[in-house]
Amino acid sequence: MLVGSGLLVVFLIVSVTAPWWAPHGVAETVDTPLMGMSWAHPFGTDVLGRDVFSRVVNGARDDLFLSIVSTLVAVVVGGIVGLVSGYVGGWLDELLMRVFEAVISIPLLVLALLAIAAAGPERSGSWLLLIGVVVLVYAPRVARMARSIAVDLVTRDFVLAARLRGESVRSIVRRELLPNATGVLLVEFGVRAGYTPILIGSLGFLGFGARPPSPEWGLMISENRDGLLAAPVIVLAPALSLAVLVIALNLCADGLARYLGRQAVRTP
Amino acid sequence: MSLVEVEDLTVDFWTGDGWANVVNEVTFQVRPGESYGLVGESGSGKTTTAGALLGFRRPGSRVRAGSVRFQGRDLLTLRPAELRRVRGREAALVPQNPTTALTPNMRIGDQVEEALQVHGLGGSRSQRARRVLELIRQVRLPDASATARKYPHQLSGGQQQRVTIAMALACEPKVLVLDEPTTGLDVTTQAQIIDLLARLRAETGVAILYVTHNLGVVAEICDRVGVMYAGELVEEGPTERLFERPRHPYTRGLIASVPSVVRPERTRAVLHGLLERGELPPGCRFAPRCVFADEQSFAEQPVLEEVEPGHRVACWHWREIPPLAETAPGEERIEPADTRDGNGALLGIRELDVTYGRSRGLLLARREPELVVRDVTFDIRPGETFSLVGESGSGKSTIARTVGGLLRPLDGEITFEGRNIARTVESRDRELRRRIQLVFQNPDASLNPRQRVGRIVGRPVELFFGLGGKELAARIRRLLEDVRLDPSFMRRFPHELSGGERQRVAIARALAAEPRLMLCDEVLSALDVSVQATVLELLRSLQEEHGIAYLFISHDLAVVRSLSHRVGVLYRGELCEVGTVDEVYAPPFHPYTQELLLAVPEIDPAARRAPTPKVDTETAAGPAATACPFADRCPVKVGPVCDVEPPPWRATSATHAIRCHIPLDELRSKAVWPPARE
Repeated sequence: MLVGSGLLVVFLIVSVTAPWWAPHGVAETVDTPLMGMSWAHPFGTDVLGRDVFSRVVNGARDDLFLSIVSTLVAVVVGGIVGLVSGYVGGWLDELLMRVFEAVISIPLLVLALLAIAAAGPERSGSWLLLIGVVVLVYAPRVARMARSIAVDLVTRDFVLAARLRGESVRSIVRRELLPNATGVLLVEFGVRAGYTPILIGSLGFLGFGARPPSPEWGLMISENRDGLLAAPVIVLAPALSLAVLVIALNLCADGLARYLGRQAVRTP
Repeated sequence: MSLVEVEDLTVDFWTGDGWANVVNEVTFQVRPGESYGLVGESGSGKTTTAGALLGFRRPGSRVRAGSVRFQGRDLLTLRPAELRRVRGREAALVPQNPTTALTPNMRIGDQVEEALQVHGLGGSRSQRARRVLELIRQVRLPDASATARKYPHQLSGGQQQRVTIAMALACEPKVLVLDEPTTGLDVTTQAQIIDLLARLRAETGVAILYVTHNLGVVAEICDRVGVMYAGELVEEGPTERLFERPRHPYTRGLIASVPSVVRPERTRAVLHGLLERGELPPGCRFAPRCVFADEQSFAEQPVLEEVEPGHRVACWHWREIPPLAETAPGEERIEPADTRDGNGALLGIRELDVTYGRSRGLLLARREPELVVRDVTFDIRPGETFSLVGESGSGKSTIARTVGGLLRPLDGEITFEGRNIARTVESRDRELRRRIQLVFQNPDASLNPRQRVGRIVGRPVELFFGLGGKELAARIRRLLEDVRLDPSFMRRFPHELSGGERQRVAIARALAAEPRLMLCDEVLSALDVSVQATVLELLRSLQEEHGIAYLFISHDLAVVRSLSHRVGVLYRGELCEVGTVDEVYAPPFHPYTQELLLAVPEIDPAARRAPTPKVDTETAAGPAATACPFADRCPVKVGPVCDVEPPPWRATSATHAIRCHIPLDELRSKAVWPPARE
């Protein structure tokens, strides 16, 4: 947890401050292409002669921001839909869950590519689309999780008591269910956030994510893979950054889960 | 010569920031063939002490001092391999919850056999099989060879508990340790298990250590009793003497807290407050709750003193403790509630039928509904307490939930203040929802763990009366005072409260709506005896102050007797007797009412009942196949008429009726009441 959050803080600082201290611009051609590590260019230069170090540190913002925002939206949307569906039950629940299951049964990446293809070429590469894709992929999974919590909670007497008072669905979900689901949803958020960079990176790598000249890491790996033999560092640098980000997010999620788990034990 | 000698046993638990003392210098002996009862409220350390008899130490605990000698050997210093030879073979445990104690995917016969096998007993395979059948017969389970092939889920709770007893007996141990073995069972099933234990003791000569909070059960089965408080043994003596003339104020309070089915009036509210482990004084640990305590009690620890042969007590003031029949200063005597004859019904229920399992999904075919409640008719007058008693599965809670609007009745009429309300909450108007409030059995589940008490209690006020800000806060404070809680509780979360306090919060929440009818669904059964008594008192005084009518659901006939004005006895979803308390608790009885009353263990030595014919019956839930639901269990069944023809209601007075084929005179002559002394 400590290591994870420490790393995450570093990532955050880098992503926010990078534009001020990065030695070069992201789209600036500064030197001969495909140079290895050197003092001038710690991570070398890419196929177009851009400084990889500058691009990696600036890319942190794209990846971090995209991952966190899209996961957050997915968890919020999925959580609310799941809780309502689980509480209301009946045909609505049945319908939603069958649809979600159908969506979940499609492999992650295939579904993401499908959605991007459906959105049309003019929108491809926009951040909004990427966020939308992550939400589409993750929200049903979160919703199912939230629903299972809600189904367990609705039979509890305090929810019955609220029903007996004649509380509205909105008020029951907000006051009675949500506070009891936050722990699980937070953990869900952490775990999902750990996978999102991989998804976004994969999309970038395949050319369906961010558009050039964006310094998104997945895209960068893809662009530079031709230079892998000449200067390995230009591929390894964004790849390792991505790996470390995923590890940091997962460590945080684990720590969070353990912390909340301990709390749950203490308050039976 | 003692079989088990516990000496100065002191056990601590690790709490995360230090050792907390759980058992302190407990000393007692169990003689061969003797039955010893260990009683106390939750947290008194009785289960930990019992565990020590099997050499068991909970992880995170330490034995600071003392020894547990079993036939001369100290179990606490034995190596694990040696301990295993003692456990199960010489000292065996019967656990509290048989459902979790039995392996679900193993046949009963195999589980019993395993108990023999692990100790290498029982000889060859065929000899073992014979012994297994013998054990199953010994615990009075029907059709041994068929039972041996069954799985645990095919047996009822009482039968499962018989199986665990058979397993414990398999190796013919010298002592059985029973940890609350009847807590989850119905009164009638409990009576059968206790009867079984008494017989087994006579047959096998096994000694018994019985751990329970139920004083009645102890009075039934134990020769000697040890009373534990906050980890200390505060009183010990022969059962009869101890219950007749308790010397420790705590024992006295415990006994006075238990309502009786025979005598409704009792001294009450002797046990103030709660066991607070964090605030134990250096002297007598009971001092903060004791009306007799003085400076010496707080400062110096009392030691066990002999009062009479075999009767020891740890109290500085035992000479001043009055007999049970007298009231001490600071106590009051509670007379039973008088019957109210209000006019006009507040709630009327006519021929109510309720069913579960209506097809929910679109694909499921509709099936013939199985009635959980059938043809139930009764009414409740304003300010009155009407109680429904019956075993689990008799449909008591279903009726409460239907009245509350959580279930839609299949047929029949429910009127409230003259209006038909037979529909679910969603289609009732706000005023109606306000006037009927439900209090649930388990306050752990009925209070939202993520809301503060103030929010929980305040929400109905906000919703029904539209109060806010200062007015709301003042109202919450008053409500908490109404249920005798400190207003500072507003800021706390439910898990920061004790069980009794939580139930008070739940009651305050119901009270907040200022209802005219409160549905109390087993509100006391999750609480300790002394806490039960205070909550019962609270309900009674709230009724007097606010004139609320209660529909009180309980399986505890003694509690029902002490609180109700009128009672309905429910069996398998049908009422079989309705009347005022005095009428229901006096002959003539419906055969089922009689069975229930005789099953209640009585602590008062003067009111101990005669041994009764205990048929091996198991509670059946759901509707019966016979016309009279009780026909297949009835000890005085008339004949085929009971199976074919629905029994008629026979009225003994304007308020009392029994539904039975047997004429009233005959029922009266068959009644065993008041229970004769053994």
